[in-house]
Amino acid sequence: MNWPDFRFPWGGWFFLALIPLVILYFLKLKRPRVEIPSLALWQSVVNDQRVNSPFQKFRRNLLLLLQLLLLCLVILALMQPFISAGPETAEYVPVLVDCSASMSAKVQGSDDTRLDVAKERVRAMIDNLRGDGRLSLFTFATGGRRLTEFTDDQQLLTRALDEIQPTHRASKLDEVLRMAEAYARTANVQRVIVITDGNLRDRVDFELPFRLEVQRVDRGDQNLGITEMSARRSGADDPNAWDIFVRVAGSTPDGGVGEVTLTQNGAIVGRESVVASVDESERLVFTVDSSDSSLIQATLKTDQFDSLDLDNTVWLNLPRTRPLRVRVDPELYSWQHAFNVQPDLEIDTGAEAQAAEYDLIVSSSEDLKGSHAPIVVYNGVVPTELQDLISVNDMQAGDDPVEIVDWVNTTPLLRHVRLRDVQIGQKARYAEGANSLELEKRGYEVLIHAAAGPLMLQRRRGLETEYYFLFHTDRSTLPYRLAFPILVRNVLESALQQAGLAEVAAVPTGVLPPLSVTPDRALTIQGPAGSSDTVRSTGSGLLQGIQADFVGQYNILDGGDVVASVGTGLLSPLETSLQAVEELQFSELSVTTKETSVIESDRQLWWTLALLAFVFLLVEWWYFQRMKGSVA
Amino acid sequence: MTDTPRQLTSLFNNSTLNRIERMRLNPLRRLTNRSRGEHLAGKGGSSTDFADYRDYATGDDMRYVDWNIFARLHRPYIKQFLHEEELHVVIMVDASTSMLFEDKLTKARQLAAAFGIMGLLSVERVSVYAIHQQEGQPWKLPPGTGRTRVPALLRFLESIEGGGNVPVEKAIETMLRFHRGRGVAILLSDFLTFHDLGRSLNLLFSSGLEVWGLQILSDSEQNPSLEGDLRFIDSETGETLDVTNAGELLSLYHEHREWHTNTLHQQCRSRNGRFASINSATPIDAVLFDTLCRQGWVLR
Repeated sequence: MNWPDFRFPWGGWFFLALIPLVILYFLKLKRPRVEIPSLALWQSVVNDQRVNSPFQKFRRNLLLLLQLLLLCLVILALMQPFISAGPETAEYVPVLVDCSASMSAKVQGSDDTRLDVAKERVRAMIDNLRGDGRLSLFTFATGGRRLTEFTDDQQLLTRALDEIQPTHRASKLDEVLRMAEAYARTANVQRVIVITDGNLRDRVDFELPFRLEVQRVDRGDQNLGITEMSARRSGADDPNAWDIFVRVAGSTPDGGVGEVTLTQNGAIVGRESVVASVDESERLVFTVDSSDSSLIQATLKTDQFDSLDLDNTVWLNLPRTRPLRVRVDPELYSWQHAFNVQPDLEIDTGAEAQAAEYDLIVSSSEDLKGSHAPIVVYNGVVPTELQDLISVNDMQAGDDPVEIVDWVNTTPLLRHVRLRDVQIGQKARYAEGANSLELEKRGYEVLIHAAAGPLMLQRRRGLETEYYFLFHTDRSTLPYRLAFPILVRNVLESALQQAGLAEVAAVPTGVLPPLSVTPDRALTIQGPAGSSDTVRSTGSGLLQGIQADFVGQYNILDGGDVVASVGTGLLSPLETSLQAVEELQFSELSVTTKETSVIESDRQLWWTLALLAFVFLLVEWWYFQRMKGSVA
Repeated sequence: MTDTPRQLTSLFNNSTLNRIERMRLNPLRRLTNRSRGEHLAGKGGSSTDFADYRDYATGDDMRYVDWNIFARLHRPYIKQFLHEEELHVVIMVDASTSMLFEDKLTKARQLAAAFGIMGLLSVERVSVYAIHQQEGQPWKLPPGTGRTRVPALLRFLESIEGGGNVPVEKAIETMLRFHRGRGVAILLSDFLTFHDLGRSLNLLFSSGLEVWGLQILSDSEQNPSLEGDLRFIDSETGETLDVTNAGELLSLYHEHREWHTNTLHQQCRSRNGRFASINSATPIDAVLFDTLCRQGWVLR
């Protein structure tokens, strides 16, 4: 049983007012005066009464008792009693509020979202705050954000709480926990409270230095949502045809029925019914023709209740279709030959580059002669800045053959490429004291390792990727092996991917993908919620790091002209599923999430006492009037 | 035109007076005075009522020798007769303020008149004291006897107005300062006092007076009807007493009142006296001809 506590215990001094009340009552009691022949009998009666029951006077004096009760109730109300709802009085408690997209889910029959429920719980904690308790509010979705310092200022906390809005992003607990850990160093934090719907990844890469208490709000209701949308060029038959893939998932085992409508630049190009459950998503395929860039929008509609609206619309930008522009040095015959058999290529093999921009350049020289491409493959070139670390020499008679020890077959270029038995006529060596770590420090990653040194390097510069074959491929058996066409195809795929010509995927909320725009220009980003921000492009014409927290279309304006338009979608199977994890697995331990229906706030008793005092006042008035009447 | 008979007193009507005149007091003991009177003492006297014989002794009055016995027995015997002595009837009327409530004093005056008339017509020495104040002289009717004193008695009682603060025990002591003689002391009072009456009753008893206590209580004293918180004011002393929720104390009040009456009764009986308690609202005829007759106070 919780005994009541008092917010204003000093009010107890007012109980001393009972003493003058009793004294004044007996001294100043306005009694009717009755003259009687003699007090002799009544005096003995009163004496007898006093002897027999010293407190009978109080007991029988209902009017005084009522007054005492009334005063006691008023004083108790003044002391602001309450029954504590629980241990929400810890010293320093960071409260992490989940603001991910799934917190926007509603339960059928209610207008409150799960975030509203979570905020009510936090509000209860704020109301319960007393003594030395301090709260610090954090919100988290994919990242974390701290709203307040550790404070006991309830108004400040309430204001910060009111400002919390749901994001359209997936939830991730790691970052905000690290943030809380950092702040925990400034205060004695014993535990951290997470208010979430439990729609989290069950594995968290974090070592808990404090006790984590995960309080789950109610589960969501039925939901259907688009969790994936991508497009791929259909094939060589129709170079303008795109296959649009839309995956729809549900949140309940029973499944939900909906209809996906696909529009291209506002015109409906497809409509399909879909049935999806939590265990079985459905993938739809639409085929659209798009010779020019176009905006594809997939919209999901359902006649049933849908908890979450955010995941019902996804945008996809289809690029303008064109052949891949490839520049190959004229002396690289093996590469030219390999490219010539590939479809949809526009190959430049001239001595001088015909254009400044290509999608792919394969060069045997570090000097690209003014041309530029997002993917460049150098053949038989040692980067100038690495020449002090690496030397490449031709094989001499009697030298041991170059043995390829290992290669990074996960890199896009070397996927499915077997290099084990390739004979190489050049030998690369590390300079004395040099190793792969030194290369990495200078921004180069070794992709092919030989016994004496690296054979292939990769360097990334923004969106651009440079591959360095330190040996000349024509001085090896590589062009004669099956691995070579695979390698060439991988190079082309990477170039197509980079140019967005083969496959595009819808952009999830978070950060917009890097965009190539006019260098060094101030551009305006117009968001879906009417938000507007100005971002300056880099000197290389790159626009990156644009925050896109909300589902919708983002227009990039240069002055009044729209230079790019990107649509985002939630695209998170986890968020769409609205499922809650029962247990979070941390590095060393697991934390059970608790679905507490209600976090009770302190029950305030002052108004009850005030009401009782009012009732006693009425009773006292009635009794007083009755007594007056009886005497009269 | 018929003449209505004139009322002899305002205390009661003539018919009641006629009935009273035929009544006599009935003391429990023969506490008489040596002065001659009409009340027969137990010891030998000179009345006409024969009491006993005794042997003649030298010096006896020869007139009381029964000569017929001497003739038959040749021995002288003296005839003895009952001695007739006066009985003092002293009536004390409590005339303090407490007796002014609800005709208590009127009832006391009526009873005093009745007892006085009975005493006078029985040739007793009757005196009346109406005591109202602690200091000063009480109102008193000096002892007298015979029918001729009746008008004086009635006038005296009619003139008593009452009002004062004397408690009954003080009233008794005041009366005893003036009274001499044995007989019956009739105390007409409400006997509501803060003090014990034992000492006062002992004084009466040791003075040779048979104590007849007649308590006169008003209806509001016997059956009070009160409720709520009250401030009682003593009519004599002006003292106050705060009583809370008087309605709930009534049962306790009745217990105390009965105890008080029983105590007075016991005190009077233990001194060979009588005690009765009457309601001031009870008609005088009912008191005299019913209550007191049945209890043996008076004889018809």
